[in-house]
Amino acid sequence: MPKSPNDKLQGTLTLLVLRTLDARGPLHGYGLCDHIRSVSDELLRMEEGSLYPALHRMEHDGWIAAKWEITDKGRKAKIYSITARGRKQLADEHEAWQRLTRGVARVLRYS
Amino acid sequence: MKNLFRRLRYLLHRRRFDRELADDMEFHREMAAREGKRNFGNTLRLREEARDEWGWVWIDSFLQDVRYAARMLQHSPGFTLTAVAMLALGIGINVAAFGFFNLMVLRPLPVRDPATLLFFEHQSPDNFGDNFPYPEVSFFAEHSKTLRAVMARGFGRLTVDREEEPIAASFLTANYFNELGAVPKLGRLLSPALDEAPGAPPVVVLGYDTWRTRFGADPSIVGKTIRLNKKPATIVGVLSNGFSGLGLNPPELSVPIVQKPYFEAGQDLTASSEKGINVQMWGRLRSGLTPRIAEQELTSLAAQLRAEHPKDMWEKETLSSRPGGFAMTVRAEMYPVLALASALGILILIAACVTLGGLLLARGAAREREFSIRSALGAGRGRLIRQLLTESLLLAFLGLMAALMAGYLGLRGSIVWADLPAWLNPIPDGRVILFAVGAGVAAVILFALTPAWHVARQRYRATTMRRILIGAQVATSCVLLIVSGLLIRALHQAISTSPGFEYERVIALDPGLGGASPKEARAYLDTLHARLGSVPGILSVSMASNPPLGNRWTVDKTRVDGRAVNIHFNNVDPGFFETMAIPVLRGRSLARGEKREIVVSESLAAAQWPGENPIGKRFSDAKDIVVGVVGNARLVSPEDSDAVEAYRLAQDDLLPAMVVLIRTAGPAESLVPIVASVSKSIVPRRFPEIHSLRSSFNRKVAQARYAALTVSLLGAVALLLACLGIVGLVTYAVSQRTKEIGIRMALGAQPSQVLSAVLRQFATPVAIGLLAGIGGAAALSQFLRQELYGLSNFDPAAYLGAVVAFAIAAGVAALLPARRALQVDPMLALRYE
Repeated sequence: MPKSPNDKLQGTLTLLVLRTLDARGPLHGYGLCDHIRSVSDELLRMEEGSLYPALHRMEHDGWIAAKWEITDKGRKAKIYSITARGRKQLADEHEAWQRLTRGVARVLRYS
Repeated sequence: MKNLFRRLRYLLHRRRFDRELADDMEFHREMAAREGKRNFGNTLRLREEARDEWGWVWIDSFLQDVRYAARMLQHSPGFTLTAVAMLALGIGINVAAFGFFNLMVLRPLPVRDPATLLFFEHQSPDNFGDNFPYPEVSFFAEHSKTLRAVMARGFGRLTVDREEEPIAASFLTANYFNELGAVPKLGRLLSPALDEAPGAPPVVVLGYDTWRTRFGADPSIVGKTIRLNKKPATIVGVLSNGFSGLGLNPPELSVPIVQKPYFEAGQDLTASSEKGINVQMWGRLRSGLTPRIAEQELTSLAAQLRAEHPKDMWEKETLSSRPGGFAMTVRAEMYPVLALASALGILILIAACVTLGGLLLARGAAREREFSIRSALGAGRGRLIRQLLTESLLLAFLGLMAALMAGYLGLRGSIVWADLPAWLNPIPDGRVILFAVGAGVAAVILFALTPAWHVARQRYRATTMRRILIGAQVATSCVLLIVSGLLIRALHQAISTSPGFEYERVIALDPGLGGASPKEARAYLDTLHARLGSVPGILSVSMASNPPLGNRWTVDKTRVDGRAVNIHFNNVDPGFFETMAIPVLRGRSLARGEKREIVVSESLAAAQWPGENPIGKRFSDAKDIVVGVVGNARLVSPEDSDAVEAYRLAQDDLLPAMVVLIRTAGPAESLVPIVASVSKSIVPRRFPEIHSLRSSFNRKVAQARYAALTVSLLGAVALLLACLGIVGLVTYAVSQRTKEIGIRMALGAQPSQVLSAVLRQFATPVAIGLLAGIGGAAALSQFLRQELYGLSNFDPAAYLGAVVAFAIAAGVAALLPARRALQVDPMLALRYE
């Protein structure tokens, strides 16, 4: 399988998506993008090309669930929500991320 | 594992997933647009990227390639047909040959549980063979603990009702049919309880073919009585069609072996070795045992039997076995023939593939524009190669199907043509299909890879490659043509030249004295000699242990000057050379009572003692002394022109095996009935086998023709392939230079000048290919000569004939497309592009 250029950030992407869904409740793809962008003060911009494949994979891994719903504007949309397994994954990834940032920060500080 | 399931689920539902993804993204795009952001990008490309995630893009692009390739092939039906036909020929010949090998050697016989069957042979320091005296076999059957069953088949001949000519009959142990799971078409088969009991009534089981041809497929035949050797026997059943027995030919007239003495006077079931009934023996191994254990057990049983009957058994007899459930076993002496067949098959396949490779390269060049456009649109080299390979794969697949079909038809045709038994099933089995697929894969690698590589690199004018292809093509076709020419010439030579002895006016009489003592045989033969000598029209009577043109021979292989030479030994009586009209060139013939004297053929003398007088020389480890030299007479195999002969006087112990030869003044056929009645007047119950040598000769010639026909067919295929390849290449070369030809013609060039300009580029590779082909053929024929006989070392006619045939065919193949180019209107050619 060819690696997508975003592969390095794939872990972060999962973390961001899971965290957003956990905090905000069910969202559709656009809502996810929008939320992450605005919460991060436009610092993080999600590539749609990597978002949807990632959503697919996470759905399949059972971390998120998806169903088609009619939005308040009468449009059919796919709404994603986090599952119990997803929460566990989120906790793991959160922990891993913090270890990583702590480690990186220390190296930056002392070396 | 989970990943695999995920992927499989995507594969199965990929339409639904794709639609959902499209909808999802579309929603995203709409939302973005509503808020004035238009940066979503190309949904289609994003979808493709997302699909990458599922891991099945290659299947989509593969299907795409296949569809495209099918369209391309559909657009050029001429090319497609040629290519498929070439592959069908190249692979099909191999499939048919392998199919035959598979039927004979690899596929078990269609009998019950063939894997546990063993066929036994025995050897001692002085003897070896696969014939056992019946008492030994029944001793094994009674005492063996490693074999569940012991089966035996003896061969003989019986007359049916009033017919003069006896037909082949099988004398079987009564368990034979049950053990092999044979099913009766009518009635019952042999049964140990009914047919081997003392005093059981005489019975016979008919083979399916005999029932149909000889008894008109009479449905109420069971229970009828026929006379075998004038003795009544009840027909108890008919075998069903498709029963193979243990060998190539199913038993057609089966009689319980214990009843043999009833039909044939003088036979003794209890006698051993010399006088008794000799049979072939099979055993069924008990489960869990190895053949080795059974061999050891039977060897010790044989020693036990020898202790009881020291005179009837061989000293230090050991038994060996080989798998018994196959029609044939490959023996070392068959390797050269197998090697030759494989070499020819591989050459044909290479010739077909090289030709096809050339065509593909030419076609790639004709599609230059298409590939330029595609690579300009962003197709990578890998993608282009993949596309081309897909096209080749599709071609190979079509070719493979056609080849399987052609192989099946070829095999079926040859089974019918060569009159092989009906149980041989030509439908390809898994092994044949696997072989065909293997050949197909080899073909794809041979014909597709280089052209695809060249085309994808857009090196259409890769002239070196093309020249190598032409050279290789010419070389392989040449090798095939020359070798087939050599074989045909050798066969023709053997058939058309005189075999060196009289066969038109000689009758062979096999008295069938097997089992008689030398004394009895001497009495019978002397009486026969005397009575035949007084028949008007019979010029002389003599005998030989190996009848001319018969199926018995004694061959010693030696090497003379590195060449394999077969010395055919024969044991004859003093009158043999006169009867067979073989001239005594030097010295004298054999005389009565001589033991160590030997007469050799001129060819043997020339090979062994060139330029010397052979009379008085010692031969065979100095045991024999040469007393005479006779003319060359290829008595046993007229197709083996390298064979040499040596004759000894037949000693008394050989008398029961002698065949009587009768030279007649007029046509031999008219005297056959008289000879038959004379021989019967001596011992009425004996049924000698009588035939004219001319009929045997014709049968041998027919076999040789069959072989020659097969080989020339291969040669013709090679020539055809080469011509197709040349047509393709020249067409391509001409199409590349249409403009140039147009200008030259417009400027007033002669057609011949233009032609030579176009075709000159092919001259060198063709010449090199021809030389390489001649060299290859010489090397191959050298090898063949070591292993097969009768092939001439250097046969100018075969070489010249092949080269001339090739040159003419190649010339015609080159001129046809070139001529068409000359007829092009110059203006049209100039406006082109």
